Amino acid sequence: MSRAYVASVGMTQVGEHWRKSLLDLMVEASLQAMNACPSIVPDRVIVGNMFSGAGSNQEQLGAYLASQLNLVGVPAYKVEGACGSGGAAVHNGYLSVKADESEAVLVCGVEKMKDLDVGRATAALAMADSAEYTQFVGATFISLNALTHAMYVKKHGVAKEEMAGFPVLGHRNAASARHSMFKRPITVEDVIRSPIISDPIRLMDSSPICDGAAALLIVNERKAKELGDVMVEVAASEVAANLFTIYERPDPLDYVATRAAAGRALAKAGVKIGQVDFIEVHDAFSVTAALALESMGVSGPGQAPKDVTKGRFNLDGELPINTFGGLKGRGHPVGATGVYQVAEAYLQVSGKAERNQVKGAKVGMTHNMGGVDTTTSVHILRREG
Amino acid sequence: MTLINPISYWRLKDRYFNLLGTKCTKCGAEWFPPARVCRKCGCQDLVDHEMPHTGRLLAHTVLKEPSEEFRSSAPYVVGLIELDNGQRLLAQVVDVDPTGLQDDTRVRLTIRKLAEDTKRGTIFYGYKFTPLP
Repeated sequence: MSRAYVASVGMTQVGEHWRKSLLDLMVEASLQAMNACPSIVPDRVIVGNMFSGAGSNQEQLGAYLASQLNLVGVPAYKVEGACGSGGAAVHNGYLSVKADESEAVLVCGVEKMKDLDVGRATAALAMADSAEYTQFVGATFISLNALTHAMYVKKHGVAKEEMAGFPVLGHRNAASARHSMFKRPITVEDVIRSPIISDPIRLMDSSPICDGAAALLIVNERKAKELGDVMVEVAASEVAANLFTIYERPDPLDYVATRAAAGRALAKAGVKIGQVDFIEVHDAFSVTAALALESMGVSGPGQAPKDVTKGRFNLDGELPINTFGGLKGRGHPVGATGVYQVAEAYLQVSGKAERNQVKGAKVGMTHNMGGVDTTTSVHILRREG
Repeated sequence: MTLINPISYWRLKDRYFNLLGTKCTKCGAEWFPPARVCRKCGCQDLVDHEMPHTGRLLAHTVLKEPSEEFRSSAPYVVGLIELDNGQRLLAQVVDVDPTGLQDDTRVRLTIRKLAEDTKRGTIFYGYKFTPLP
């Protein structure tokens, strides 16, 4: 069984790509990753995506991308897990290399959201939850997170100024990141005065609707050594599923899938949470960042908003999070997000993070959720040597 | 991502109008939305069972940006409701002033219009909840 390594990454700018299609974005990110390692020809193509069918009338994204890259005859397919599609796609690439079925896998995550107006994008995102019992009654994905946000605040007595620490951090880190959507830092005041979408969630608690694609080449040990570059191992890749909807769960505030995936990933990588140098956490909303960090054991119950407010998670803090802005600042092209996170973790541990570099970063963790912690993946990247 | 299709709606009508869930024939646990395998005892023999029509509001949110099909109803209250048998569901809470709505309010089932397919002329009714007097 080979070890799996990230050989190279590619990322489009996250934003509003009116002139670029789903395919344009996928090809741009994939060619960046492939051109960085011209000696490597992918023997498998995996695409992570949530709603290309509903959004762009296009499925078969694996073959669609492979065809444009002249990779005819290779295994090529799409992996879906709502907003967790990207992480699940990386997991599939990892498995292919670990199983010695592939030597070099191209994993590409993509989402084209801005072709839909807000109402249709909201309906598309709601597909993550039950069609029969959530979408039918008029609940949206944001309203599910608003309910958990309200329950969280009630349970722990968290101030809205403290919750606002997450978007403030996201925008601050995004401002200096090359590929991020938002380049403007925001204040706590900006967050708590922004319009309410579904109370208590405000516009500035919410990651944006946007377009983007990210790609990775995941290779086996032999190929990675041939390249002679810094060796970045995918030390663990775990996916866990929770009970499907928040109303079926005994405690909607318990991110069971996050806890399971993070626990298994740390055990397999042989590291403790305290040895992780940074975490890319799924801050689709401020509350998801808080609940995820608490479920991983990073913060005590109700403490994550206090920790972010005190600066613990800053780039120069004890445990930096969302080092390129996270979902809020970099942007959340849903099916691409899990791949962006792993690409960003690669930049950090290989020392290529430029102005966003976490000093001395060697071990990084990424956390990507589909639904409200329904299909969750955790990856751990580690630099060798 | 569009409105529920009329065939699914027809298949689900008893679930929607009578809150028909399932009940485990072995341990008696009740489930809504319907479970196919009992989450308590693993039994695979479950039968349809009507849920209680009353419960209490655990949490709620006033939704201002709905999916396109629900735009004409916005803003509206989406509540997390615990029925008297402990099963939970999401539903709109109606006939209330959202600003004064308190969690723990006792609520009961009411059948109301949810959305309309203006192209086909289909009107979709379903469960909502309203405060008990």
